[in-house]
Amino acid sequence: MTVIEKSSPVQARSTILSIKNVSKCFSENLIVMDNFSLQMQEGECISIIGPSGSGKSTLLRVLMGLDTIDAGEIDFQKRLYIKGALDPRKRTLDELARRKVGMVFQHYTLFPHLSILSNLILAPVKVLKKSKSEAKEHGMRLLERFGLESKANQYPSQLSGGQKQRVAIARALMLEPKLLLLDEITSALDPEMVEEVQKVILQLAEQKMSMIVVTHDMQVAKSVASRVVFCANGKVVEQGRPDEIFKTPKEARTQEFLSKFLLNS
Amino acid sequence: MNYSSSFTYVFDNFDKLLQGLWITLQLTIAANIIGIVFGFLLSLLAISKFRLIRWPAQLYIEFFRCTPVLLQVIWFFYCLPIIFDIYLDPVPMGVLALGLNLMAFNAEAYRSGVQAIPREQLDACVALSLNPFQKNLYVILPQAFRIALPVLITNGISILQQSSLVAIVSVADLMYEGKLLATDSYRPFETYSIVALIYLAMALPIGQMVSWIERRQERTLHS
Repeated sequence: MTVIEKSSPVQARSTILSIKNVSKCFSENLIVMDNFSLQMQEGECISIIGPSGSGKSTLLRVLMGLDTIDAGEIDFQKRLYIKGALDPRKRTLDELARRKVGMVFQHYTLFPHLSILSNLILAPVKVLKKSKSEAKEHGMRLLERFGLESKANQYPSQLSGGQKQRVAIARALMLEPKLLLLDEITSALDPEMVEEVQKVILQLAEQKMSMIVVTHDMQVAKSVASRVVFCANGKVVEQGRPDEIFKTPKEARTQEFLSKFLLNS
Repeated sequence: MNYSSSFTYVFDNFDKLLQGLWITLQLTIAANIIGIVFGFLLSLLAISKFRLIRWPAQLYIEFFRCTPVLLQVIWFFYCLPIIFDIYLDPVPMGVLALGLNLMAFNAEAYRSGVQAIPREQLDACVALSLNPFQKNLYVILPQAFRIALPVLITNGISILQQSSLVAIVSVADLMYEGKLLATDSYRPFETYSIVALIYLAMALPIGQMVSWIERRQERTLHS
């Protein structure tokens, strides 16, 4: 943690997310988050790496409100967002804050019965009660930005994996989230498609969208992030700038993990 | 076989059969509306995570699936007035009996449709802030309906056929009119053959529609 505070170029920006001592277990023997703490500044792009079962995806699911936590608190934009407790009745989640969090999943999860544009406007029209024409206009702007305007009236089954994933990102952006969670969004894609999705993430990072990217593609983690967090056994083991983590990891656990990837690639 | 068949009497009274057919169609269509709309709601109850909601729904489904339709129809006509003091006209009563039966079968069709939707899509609904009602109406129902459609239509056709059972409680449907005509004319062979052909003519095109829909789905829904 101190590493960041010393060298952080984003010190002036305000904290968007503050995860404090979060714990979660699926059963007595399966602890997925163990006193997990992490601070995030506005406009940061954090990639989270680590072995499977280290709780990275669970963290995103918790932040999206898809999973609950047994202990700890999460502040979002400096206000209490999620409060954990063993007793489900004592847990809280701020629904309005949740609307400002968006998430993209590994398997696109576009709705197959709706056209691309309809996928985009469903939530703005139904949830934010925007007019259809306004939502469509917004949707077309996003599609144009991602080079997908010609696909607006096609159906998800007619698109390639990379195109579907870009549409899924656009769909999440339609609600104008303040924090975007990307869960293994390149791992179901062919290498060349990874690149096109990676470009979109970079584009968003340049526009200072606050993002947390969970990935096991080290190339993606390295190229998009302003900070890399290495997790193992439900804890943050080490974090820092991408070049620090990938070139000179300090912790033995990080070195061991990264050496496996270097051997593989 | 030295039976000489004569269709004259049947054709002379064809308007009677058409009247009966109209009642049959009313029964079938109304029962299908009940079955298609409430079958979906019932399927949602039957997969609820709350036992107190799930169990009664499953009990309902099993009850209607595991008892003869004929018995259900007769039970409705004789027992409903006794127990609940409800006196309905024969046609609404028939619609109710057939509709409640179809609901159970359609709920099963919908359930497999709902369960075929990948879990991640439901997570995506949460991520898009859709509330449970919006999720069911805009995401689950249209997909479950498409997946279940061939079975829903097959169930609908079988209700067309089973609607003939209400003739036994004097609903003047196609079967009932056919029975009258057969008795009046002493021409059961001719009458029932014609009645059978009318049922066939109604059901066959719909059956063809199922295979057409299935072929279309093969092409479009896979993503």
